[in-house]
Amino acid sequence: MAPLSVISLSLCFLLPLLSPAISTNSEGNALHALRRRLSDPTNVLQSWDPTLVNPCTWFHVTCDSNNHVIRLDLGNSNISGTLGPELAQLRHLQELYKNDISGEIPKDLGNLKNLVGLDLYGNRFEGEIPKSFSGLKSLRFLRLNNNNLTGSIPRELTALSNLKVFDVSNNDLCGTIPVDGPFGMFSMPSYANNMRLNGPELKGLVPYNFGC
Amino acid sequence: EAEALLKWKASLPINTQTLLSSLWGGSNHCNWTGITCNNAGSITKVILGEYELKLRGTLHNLNFFYFPNLIWLQLRNNSLYGSIPSNIGNLSNLKFLDLSYNNFSGNIPLEIGLLKSLSLISLGDNSLSGSIPREIRKLSTISYIYFMRNNLTGPIPIEILNLTKLHDLDLSQNNISGSIPSDIGRLSSLSILFLNQNHLTGTIPISIGDLQNLSQFVLVDNRLNGSIPKEIGMVTSLRLLDLSNNHLSGPIPTCIGNLSNMKWLYLWSNNLSGSIPNEIGMLKSLLAFQLANNNLTGVIPHSIGNLTNLDNLVLNFNGLSGSIPSEIGMLKSLFDLQLSDNNLTGVIPDSIGNLTNLGNLVLHFNGLSGSIPTSMGNLNKLSILEICENSLSGLVPQTLNNLTHLRILDLSHNHLSGSLPENVCLGGLLTRIAAIKNNLTGLIPSSLRNCTSLYRVRLEGNHLTANISEAFGIYPNLNFISLSNNIFGELSSNWGQCHNLTSLKITNNNISGKIPFQLGLATQLQELDLSSNHLNGELPKELGKLTMVSRLYLSDNQFSGKIPLEIGLLSKLEQLDLALNNLSGPIPDDLGNCFKLFNLNLSKNNLEESIPSSISYINALQSLDLSQNSLIGGIPQQFGKLQSLEVLNLSHNMLNGSIPEAFNKLRGLRFVNISFNQFEGPIPNLKAFHEASFDALRNNKGLCGNATGLMACVPSFLANHGHGKRTKVIISVMLPLFGGLLLLFLLVGSFFTFYKKTQTKESEPREEQQGDIFTVLGFNGRVLHDNIIEATEDFSSDYCIGSGGYGSVYKAALPTGQVVAVKKLYRSEDNIHINNLKAFESEVMALLEIRHRNIVQM
Repeated sequence: MAPLSVISLSLCFLLPLLSPAISTNSEGNALHALRRRLSDPTNVLQSWDPTLVNPCTWFHVTCDSNNHVIRLDLGNSNISGTLGPELAQLRHLQELYKNDISGEIPKDLGNLKNLVGLDLYGNRFEGEIPKSFSGLKSLRFLRLNNNNLTGSIPRELTALSNLKVFDVSNNDLCGTIPVDGPFGMFSMPSYANNMRLNGPELKGLVPYNFGC
Repeated sequence: EAEALLKWKASLPINTQTLLSSLWGGSNHCNWTGITCNNAGSITKVILGEYELKLRGTLHNLNFFYFPNLIWLQLRNNSLYGSIPSNIGNLSNLKFLDLSYNNFSGNIPLEIGLLKSLSLISLGDNSLSGSIPREIRKLSTISYIYFMRNNLTGPIPIEILNLTKLHDLDLSQNNISGSIPSDIGRLSSLSILFLNQNHLTGTIPISIGDLQNLSQFVLVDNRLNGSIPKEIGMVTSLRLLDLSNNHLSGPIPTCIGNLSNMKWLYLWSNNLSGSIPNEIGMLKSLLAFQLANNNLTGVIPHSIGNLTNLDNLVLNFNGLSGSIPSEIGMLKSLFDLQLSDNNLTGVIPDSIGNLTNLGNLVLHFNGLSGSIPTSMGNLNKLSILEICENSLSGLVPQTLNNLTHLRILDLSHNHLSGSLPENVCLGGLLTRIAAIKNNLTGLIPSSLRNCTSLYRVRLEGNHLTANISEAFGIYPNLNFISLSNNIFGELSSNWGQCHNLTSLKITNNNISGKIPFQLGLATQLQELDLSSNHLNGELPKELGKLTMVSRLYLSDNQFSGKIPLEIGLLSKLEQLDLALNNLSGPIPDDLGNCFKLFNLNLSKNNLEESIPSSISYINALQSLDLSQNSLIGGIPQQFGKLQSLEVLNLSHNMLNGSIPEAFNKLRGLRFVNISFNQFEGPIPNLKAFHEASFDALRNNKGLCGNATGLMACVPSFLANHGHGKRTKVIISVMLPLFGGLLLLFLLVGSFFTFYKKTQTKESEPREEQQGDIFTVLGFNGRVLHDNIIEATEDFSSDYCIGSGGYGSVYKAALPTGQVVAVKKLYRSEDNIHINNLKAFESEVMALLEIRHRNIVQM
């Protein structure tokens, strides 16, 4: 798939910078660290064997031709637990939707410069949407709906020029809705059922986190 | 004394009572099992730990007051529970107290300090908590303290330094925090110091050099930092030093070479840097040397050849460079040699063949070159041989046929040629074999056919040949097999009997025939990849039994017939590739049940009929390729639901009609190809279409819109206006009345309360609109609206002073002399009316609460 291989190329350069001790299977180690955090009653993650050279033969993990992880598909898998900073070592992470994952969304995920889609909807995430998500320069899909997120929508996200699909409905967000950048085109259902979320931002007139 | 024992017995659970009654028969308690008396008939020893009695109960009813002559109390290895009673302090003559291997809980009683004669205290393997009592300082005769494997917290009490007779101190596997007392060197009799698996921080004290009798020093699994003190070189009595898994940095001190009694040296998983000191060769007694996972650089010293007793040498995960010294061949006792994940270059020395006791040889992830030495065939005890990810070349030596006890063989990612050793599974022990990406030729080893121990097989990326139906048998343990190139023959029904198989990948081969329906029995399969072969016939409906499958790749074969409906049973399917076959008939409606599919490729077949609308419900779908089929009809209206779609190829079909308006919702789309169909009408207002090349849109019936090679659309309702230059995403469409009221409202507020009042005033002449128009009573909506239209020349862009996502702000100088800012709301084209109203209401609600000096309060 052409767009994904572009991602992988840009990342090959990162690897030599890492120390040899972790370069061998840093992505596998990161995913295995994630596995240790998660409870997996239906053994969805059984194939995640950290002794293998890389995680590319693991199920629900997709690699590019350079053996770099570009996708993680754990949607609807009955897993629970929390996410940790180790996921920030991956590049393309999607589909953690409809599980029972709790805790805060790790701010380290904002380091995933090549992340195209982040689907964390339908879990029990709490805390704020990390401001660091402004670093997700390639992000096109961001779905955080149906969680317990609080706080305001970080204005930093207006810098996400590639963002096309955005959904934070059914949370407990507050403040006003950004109007700049990609936020000019998202419709109201993206924000539905956030009782303390006021209308669109009135720039210069009201603080964006008004009512928080 | 006997009475006290019987009273205790009576307090215990009935089973234990029965047991003790059988041991404690007769009137003379001095003859009871486990009881020893002195000449005066007074009990001196109670030893109940040697008989696997598994006594249950507590000590609460054992009154220690009645045992003044007790020297030895040993209750180890039972199932006693509850706290250790404080009246234990009455045993003033006690020398040996061993309560280990029970279930005692609670704190260590402070009264322990009263046991003035104590020489040994062993409380290990219980569930004791709290901190170690400072009263321990009173145990001036104590030599042995064993508190390991409890839940003790707090620091190591500094008072412990008073115990100058202390010989063994084992506090391992607790939750002890703080640092190691800096004066630990005062414990001059100390021989064994085990502080491993705690939460100790700080540095290793330099006074450690004073512990001239220290023989075993174990700090593994703590959080110690700083460097290894060079004073450690003074502790020549050391036989075991384990500082692994801490945060130690700096070099390995060269004076470590003084430790000539050292047998086991473990420093793995720290941040140690510098090179391995040459002096290591002086440790002639060394049996184990493990430095894995540090930042060590430089070469492996040649002096390592002096360590002729070495059993294991584990240096992997460092930055070691240079070649493997040929002196390694002198380590005749070596069983485990692991040098993987370094930057080692040069050849594998021939002398490695001298290591005839070697069981594990792990050299992967280095830059080793040259060929595999034929001498390796001498290593006939070898169980693990991993030399993958190097630059090894040349023929695989046939001497490897002598290695009949291999469990793991990994030659992957080298440049090896020749054939795999025929006898690789002769001993029947092989679990893993991998030789990915080499230039191997010849047959797949015949010993693999009956190699039932196999768990994982990866031979792809070679030119190995075999008749697959003969080369492989039934493997009850097989989990993963991947083969490619030159394999021929037919898929045997045996694969269905590999009941633990999760991945079956036989790609880019010449296998032919049909997929045996018995494959449906391999119900653990999660990946089936048979792409690029010459398989034919219909896809068996038994594929529907493989309900665990997440990846199904059958592309580039000669499959014919319909796609079985049973494919819809594969609810865990993530990727389905059936491209480049001769499949015909409709796309099964049931495919919509595969809601986790993100990659669906059915291209290059002869699929007919229309695209089922059920596909719209696969909401994970990222890439959909239905190109080069014979599909007819329109694109389902529901396609707008595919909110994850990035790649869409519908080209080369016979699809017709216009592209549904719902396509405008597919904002994530970035690659589209709808060429060679019968589409007509406007293209969706999406970047992916606007920026599509002509080739992606060409040869349709009548597409129009803003894209290369297409005519502009001429919508009838705007035929006279020529608005093509307007922005694509947001078009400012003024709602004449609604918008007019809106802007008035935004400035003046009080819309809802005031609207009715103004009804009667609307006919008033314009001249009356004077003074402060923003007072509630002076308000005339229509007049103000007209004034604003006039002042901004019907919202000319000359007066626009800013714009946001929801509206533009204009500067208007009113006839009254006031200058005001007017915000005009947009109506975005794909928002339905109700959303505008919601946005409007949200603004109203926000304005209601604003406190700002430039906004009029409602």
